[in-house]
Amino acid sequence: MSLHKVWLVLKREYLTRVKSKSFIIITALTPLAFVAFIGIVVFISISESEVEKRIGILDQTDVLIERLAEINETRYFDVSDVPEDTLRSQVLDGDLDGFIVLTDSVIMHGKSPTLVHGGSGGIAFLSGVRSDLRDAVREERLSRENVSAEIRDIFETRTGLEAVKLTEEGESEDNTLFASALGFILGLMIFFGIFFYGALLMRSVIEEKTNRVIEVIASSVKPIELMFGKLFGVLSMALTQFGIWIVFYIGISIAAAPIAGMIMEAQMSNLPEGATEAAAASFDPSTLDNMVIDPSIFAYFILFFFLGFMIYSALFAAIGAAVENEQDSQQFMPIVGLPIFVAYFLNTKVMQAPDSGLSTFISIFPLTSPINMISRIASTSVPAWQIITSILLMILTFFGIMWLAAKIYRVGILMYGKKATFKDLAKWIRQG
Amino acid sequence: MAVIEVKDIRKSFGKTKAVNGVSFDVTKGRIFGLLGPNGAGKTTTIRMINYILTPDTGEITINGLIASPETQRMIGYMPEERGLYKKMKVFDQLMYLTQLKGMNADEAKKSIEYWLERFEALDWKKREISELSKGQSQKIQFIATIAHDPDIYIFDEPFSGLDPINSETLKEIIIELREKGKTILFSTHRMEQVEQMCDDICLFNQGEAVLTGKLREIKSSFGENTINLEFEGDSSFLDKLEGVRINNRSTNFAEIRVLNDQSMQEILKLAMEHAEIHKFERIEPSLNEIFISTVGDDNIKKAEIK
Repeated sequence: MSLHKVWLVLKREYLTRVKSKSFIIITALTPLAFVAFIGIVVFISISESEVEKRIGILDQTDVLIERLAEINETRYFDVSDVPEDTLRSQVLDGDLDGFIVLTDSVIMHGKSPTLVHGGSGGIAFLSGVRSDLRDAVREERLSRENVSAEIRDIFETRTGLEAVKLTEEGESEDNTLFASALGFILGLMIFFGIFFYGALLMRSVIEEKTNRVIEVIASSVKPIELMFGKLFGVLSMALTQFGIWIVFYIGISIAAAPIAGMIMEAQMSNLPEGATEAAAASFDPSTLDNMVIDPSIFAYFILFFFLGFMIYSALFAAIGAAVENEQDSQQFMPIVGLPIFVAYFLNTKVMQAPDSGLSTFISIFPLTSPINMISRIASTSVPAWQIITSILLMILTFFGIMWLAAKIYRVGILMYGKKATFKDLAKWIRQG
Repeated sequence: MAVIEVKDIRKSFGKTKAVNGVSFDVTKGRIFGLLGPNGAGKTTTIRMINYILTPDTGEITINGLIASPETQRMIGYMPEERGLYKKMKVFDQLMYLTQLKGMNADEAKKSIEYWLERFEALDWKKREISELSKGQSQKIQFIATIAHDPDIYIFDEPFSGLDPINSETLKEIIIELREKGKTILFSTHRMEQVEQMCDDICLFNQGEAVLTGKLREIKSSFGENTINLEFEGDSSFLDKLEGVRINNRSTNFAEIRVLNDQSMQEILKLAMEHAEIHKFERIEPSLNEIFISTVGDDNIKKAEIK
């Protein structure tokens, strides 16, 4: 094999792709979409607390309103002097978000009171009101029973759970939620990457056939040189694109916390006094520090994308060589599509239970490993032997598939005007 | 000196024997024509010479070397299925194809500039192929074939699909290349093109080379056994002739191949009785006729010969 020729093919493939408009647009728009997404999330979590529902309390117990106001003085206010009918019409007019009639039996018999409201607010609002009420009623009952301060303290205790992740480097703050989300997203990106760049390679192979330029090329380079050149050309383009995004992400994740902090400060200066604290409590910019991803995960991401792409793109190239146009490629798509879709669907299982038997198996099985292993690596600590086994299996699979694909490719690229069947492919492999 | 030596090559695809024991030599500085109907094995043979395919058995040597990536760069090849990258600029494309043939970037650039200028195509350098007309892209295809300055040029059905101007241009290039001592091999199923240009021919039929040699010698070996007849009047007398084969018949013209030593004077006499004769000429048979008489009437698919 002449490396110089592989290099020439690679260079052409890479440059024509990277210079194309679609490459520039996709590369630029994806991070912008990402920033917009983060911006929206931050904005929502801030503005959520801005709009506080106002709930009138028609208190017939004379004690609960004080306790409720203590819990949240912007939300609850006393409307005990207003007749219920007036409150109803206020709710209908939208002047009031809702009201609750509290009777003694709420305290004495644990009767559930009714919240009459305008219908907006969502589950978070309702459960917030419910828990406020529970607290208020419980405290009232405790104080009526003259319970000692110690016991009251027992009731006020809320045991939380702080998770700490133990690694070789020591203890670190746990961020399981972010880690599994990251694992899922990275798996998703490899899934889309393999499909997107693989299909790109396939189209590029088909293009050479339909343009009929293939025969001129075949009189200058060996099919295997052409195939490798194209494969690595598209791969280089993919890595360029991922590289740009990763650099961008690292930049963003470092800058995110300070920027979000600035946005919040700016926002808060516009807020009324009382809401500021609530807003600050609901969103803590330091959580953004968790978004800084361990560089080794990026390294694994690139490695698994590389191996996955190599395995699948060899198949894509062979399919491209076997067909005349993109429509005809549909019949062969299940070969590629089935394992990769299985990997994609099972990735939610990996996210839920990254250490289960199923997760371990599909993260080592070479056809699903590129997607499922990266998800596991990002979300749990995978034993080194599993990672190494999966990498070795993928390399072996690559050589096996490459061997078959090269045979199909060699014969296929010179077949014009004929739609190949699976039988033809088997024949080409035997001939080769 | 033989620059291309083909020795008893065979190639099968499944049960089809595409090429079945073909041998011929192509001599330096001459134009060699590979003739025969479609499906006779010409393109398969050409692909093997270009090392796109390899023969099942037999051997091909180019300048004494067995066909290999090394010999590929000695050949400029224009396939029957012509094509270029539609979305690539003319100059980039030519640079790519020429470098793939093993020329270094500097030389490739010089050579491409030269040929672009020769074809008055310098203005298209920055244009994509899809923006060019069919005739224009055909010119770029010529340049792609010849820019790496090989010793040997192979054109598969070069004139099919060419507009008349480019057809003339290509003929001029082929003649010019021969004058420079280059060797040209082309294939065609259109016999009359060969008569005008080829020094040597090889006739293909059903995967076999049925006749090989110098065009002049082959023609004269058949003798002046053919009559060119021009006349005016009733042409039905032609049907009464026996022991002849009539090629190329029209209302007032016929090319008559005389078989079995039938007397030409008898034919003239019969013709004079029925029509007014404008021209009666004894000639060597046309290549078409040679082909038919070599492979036999029954062995060819007539529709494919013109």
